[in-house]
Amino acid sequence: MFRHTISELKEALVCLQAGQVTLRYPFQPHPAEGEFRGLPAVEASRCIGCGACANACPARVISLEDIEGYRLVKFELGRCTYCASCRDACPQEAISMSPMFETATGAAADLVISLRLKLAYCRVCGAPLGTRRAMEWVQSALSETGEYPGEMIKGLEMCLPCKRRQALTTAILLEEVAA
Amino acid sequence: MNRGLLNWCFKKSIWVYHVNAGSCNGCDIEILDVLTPYYDCERFGIRLVHTPRHADALLVAGPVTRQVRERLLRVYEAVPQPKLVIGVGSCATGGGIWFDSYATYGGLGNVLPVNLYIPGCPPRPEAILYGVAQALGLVPKQVAAQEYVET
Repeated sequence: MFRHTISELKEALVCLQAGQVTLRYPFQPHPAEGEFRGLPAVEASRCIGCGACANACPARVISLEDIEGYRLVKFELGRCTYCASCRDACPQEAISMSPMFETATGAAADLVISLRLKLAYCRVCGAPLGTRRAMEWVQSALSETGEYPGEMIKGLEMCLPCKRRQALTTAILLEEVAA
Repeated sequence: MNRGLLNWCFKKSIWVYHVNAGSCNGCDIEILDVLTPYYDCERFGIRLVHTPRHADALLVAGPVTRQVRERLLRVYEAVPQPKLVIGVGSCATGGGIWFDSYATYGGLGNVLPVNLYIPGCPPRPEAILYGVAQALGLVPKQVAAQEYVET
């Protein structure tokens, strides 16, 4: 019995030594360590609206819609699983995973990021082709290679039916010239 | 309901009943973490109770499957007024990757009126603590909808 009392006293000493283990969070910040993936952050000025992230997202958080001259890229992050597939898929590195996790809110609408990017139109018939930024990006990438003539790069500003029509008419013209 | 009355009712300890509404257990494990001495949710007077009749708040994880909806509604009705509903995890917030599945209701908001969402897959214990502290009015809300229009 005496032995028990001694062991209990020892335990009490151990408990005294341990001190306070409880975290002081949320009164003191406790940031995430290492490669923690928090709320995705979108650098809107770099996004070209290509939709690669929307294809990669397993929860289909990201939606694209063309309305009123803009392409609406909408991130509904309420159901995001923080897998970072969008970050890996983005060709412009516009998406990064922020360490932010303090995302509690009363309304799921607080977790929506929406970007409106200007649309580019076919210069012949006026059908929407994609965003202006994506167009400029492809044109500059192609002209940097120096393998394509300027008219060919300009041809990107046309939709597929118009391109076909133009190709046909030029072919007929060429035949007439040859004849 | 009168907001002042609600504030008065929830001024003291909030007792919580934990419901798994089709969650994968990830969020449930994090909820258990919050109750450990390291995070110690009982500092804020929050403790888990064993029956909804003793609870002030429901802590629901999961996208609400078709099977569990009836039971969830029964649990909700068993909680005395005034009651809070807290959704934990991305599934409860927006349905997660099952948001358009035939087997779920695509999020807690489609079934019950929700007072607080804590998104995360699963949310860190700190995130749950932050949400709880936010519900108690100790810390501010940090997220807001972001809009960008190209000029």
